[in-house]
Amino acid sequence: MFSEQAAPTAQGLLAPPSAEPPTFPRVAVSGYSDCSQPFQLGERSFSRQYAHIYAVRLAGMRPGLEQRARSRWGNDIALRRLSELQEGEKCCVVGTLFKSMQLQPSILQEISEEHNLVPQPPLPKYIQPSDELILEDELQRIKLEGAIDVQRLVTGTIVAVYGCEQEDGRFLVEDHCFANLPPPLPWNGPSSDRFVLLASGLGLGSVSGEALLSTQLLVDVVTGQLGAEGEQSCAAHITRVILAGNLLSQNTQSRDTINKAKYLTKKTQAASVEAVKMLDEILLQLCTSVPVDVMPGEFDPTNYTLPQQPLHRCMLPLASAYATLRLVTNPYQANLDGVRFLGTSGQNISDIFKYSSMDDYLEILEWTLLAGHISPTAPDTLGCYPFYKSDPFILTECPHVYFCGNAPHFQCKLLQGKEGQRVLLVTVPDFSATQTACLINLRDLSCQPITFSSFGADSED
Amino acid sequence: VTYKWLSYTLGVHVNLAKQMLYDYVERRRRESSGAQLHVTYLVAGNLLQNGHVCHKVAVVREDKLEAMKSKLSTIASVHVYSIQKALLKDSSPLYNTDYDIVKTNLQHCSKFSAIRCAAAVPRTPPDAPRAPAQSPQGHRDPDPDGAVNGHGPRAARAPPQQHRGIMGMFAAKAAARAQDTPKEAKAEAKEAPGVSAASSKPPTKNSIMNNFFGKAAMNKLKANSVPEQPKEEKEAVKPSVAVAEPESSPNTAAEKPGKKTESASIQQKDEKSKAKRADRSDDEEEEDPENVKKKRKRIKQLQSDSSDEEDVPPSPRPEEERAPSPPPAPALKTELEPASTEVPAGGRKRKRKRVLKSKMFIDEEEGCMGKTG
Repeated sequence: MFSEQAAPTAQGLLAPPSAEPPTFPRVAVSGYSDCSQPFQLGERSFSRQYAHIYAVRLAGMRPGLEQRARSRWGNDIALRRLSELQEGEKCCVVGTLFKSMQLQPSILQEISEEHNLVPQPPLPKYIQPSDELILEDELQRIKLEGAIDVQRLVTGTIVAVYGCEQEDGRFLVEDHCFANLPPPLPWNGPSSDRFVLLASGLGLGSVSGEALLSTQLLVDVVTGQLGAEGEQSCAAHITRVILAGNLLSQNTQSRDTINKAKYLTKKTQAASVEAVKMLDEILLQLCTSVPVDVMPGEFDPTNYTLPQQPLHRCMLPLASAYATLRLVTNPYQANLDGVRFLGTSGQNISDIFKYSSMDDYLEILEWTLLAGHISPTAPDTLGCYPFYKSDPFILTECPHVYFCGNAPHFQCKLLQGKEGQRVLLVTVPDFSATQTACLINLRDLSCQPITFSSFGADSED
Repeated sequence: VTYKWLSYTLGVHVNLAKQMLYDYVERRRRESSGAQLHVTYLVAGNLLQNGHVCHKVAVVREDKLEAMKSKLSTIASVHVYSIQKALLKDSSPLYNTDYDIVKTNLQHCSKFSAIRCAAAVPRTPPDAPRAPAQSPQGHRDPDPDGAVNGHGPRAARAPPQQHRGIMGMFAAKAAARAQDTPKEAKAEAKEAPGVSAASSKPPTKNSIMNNFFGKAAMNKLKANSVPEQPKEEKEAVKPSVAVAEPESSPNTAAEKPGKKTESASIQQKDEKSKAKRADRSDDEEEEDPENVKKKRKRIKQLQSDSSDEEDVPPSPRPEEERAPSPPPAPALKTELEPASTEVPAGGRKRKRKRVLKSKMFIDEEEGCMGKTG
């Protein structure tokens, strides 16, 4: 795929010096436009309550869901609000799901003195058989039971349920549906091979340095220094590199400086300073050769709440001098050569992973696309900015490539929708752990992982 | 010795360096003179892994080369990565060599690469005239040059603010404004009937003022004029008050005609240039309050040590006026038209207000001959 044209001249460089070697011009970016304006926060005020997000989300998704409910269960079904429910009547209700979980870390429980509880250590999953689902709309809430998978769903999803209310006040669900794939975007993809490299989790600043050579190899391949001529000419078709978060490793997040006394830590620098310098150098090497989009991640020096704002350019003085560097927000949306990319650094998917029985990152990614919302758990268990006018995480158009960073392994899937949508779902693996990045071919929406390895003290392969 | 190190040291293309290494190895092996050379190779190719056709790029030792080649279904490239005398235990010396050599040559790290990128040009330095650079900023071109321009001036403005401090920003802004001065001074000369006495003077006055006071004072003037803008917005909000002013204007005009109009012209020109900039792109709004805020801080310092103030507003006033003022950009757009008549009046009002306040000080501090500001 990537370098099949390179095969014939593979051994070309195992020869004495020949004539002046060719240089390949990088394929020019013909159509790039950044569509992530909804994720850029201007003036931020945190004085509002988070209830507004839910209200806006419900209001925004209600029309689409009602339409979908009608098409699924018939045009004449009764659409009711919770306050209008009558016992025994079959109807359809649209509302927000709330899952009450016993193990969910609650700040109120932690600080409550009467319980004398030690703060709960972070668990990989917080689900329990005793979890319950509650449907809320603007005014009321009702418990759900029936044909609905309690373990699988998470708080914050907008769903339409069909069933009837019972005597004890619970709603018996016969069927439910989500917003499903949003309307498709027209396809203007390129006619020749164009590649985009997706990498995430570079993990600079970690104590171990095994991934450093692999990172260097990655940079070398993209900038065209590595490989024989054929491979270099293929690398010239890489039009963009997107770094999807976690450029710094978790080790840079150490909070020792807060616990230790000030006089002990006065002279020590934060670990992230050194890591950012390294990042700057790597980005400089990349920027001199290819346009790069840098998304912040969980451990990067930017704000914690979603949508994460771009890294500040003063942290990357060397690389910022180049126009090819673009610092972008965490959910990132852009049109590259007519192909719409949408992706996050993985915080939303890993949050859903913790609160749902779904184990596969690709499955969760697909589910968020079907639910019509990038991050349904956003204000509840994942930090989020208190939006009140509109919820920018609602999916209004179907992207062509939908990715999430920092997944445990690489996975990809081409999803076909009923209205002609074609979406390539990619889970980009953590580079510091797997030394794998993804190459997406824009012409036919195919994806190929690219692995780098070096030899260590225990070289087995 | 890695190929990259050789390429940078000898100043040759990377492929040439790889070939040189290969050639050297072959020759040494043919001569078979004592010292053993250990070679590492880079192998790249397709490999079937976990059901995906995975592209693998690996640095391998010579003895593992054949094993790796057999593992790959298709081989994309093989070349010499490095040569060393001792057998390497792991790849960290390779990485270190490369890291060191790249660090010393950071600025031209793509000079010897096989791929050239036309879009990767360093942004224009911040001193470049920003007025022409700002014009294509409103629309986003898909063309990378358009993206460069759109991003360039913003970045050009950001580094001076952070790296060179506020003086640098003033210098850049002064340079930009200096260009706007001639055309705008002429424009508002027609628009400002109230200042008829000195309407013909602003162009010449501005140039004289520029030359006379030099750059430092120019910065001060710019700095002084900028905080007056939020006040102008306040004035625009209260047009009735401003209307009352023209009566008093001839009086004060007689006192300091030149400086009044000059400040008025600067204010107007500033607000026009600011309005223009605000019209061009909305995301500059974020920077404008920052700029104005930074200038406000600077002004306090300037005012404390400047002696030849023309009509500089006193330092306590900027704070109180600034607190209720809306962001400059939207207000500027609305009050562009009525600004001409209100600006001189507003300025005069401020002047009078200032005098009033100082009187208040004297009244309050009865007995103390304190400085009134």
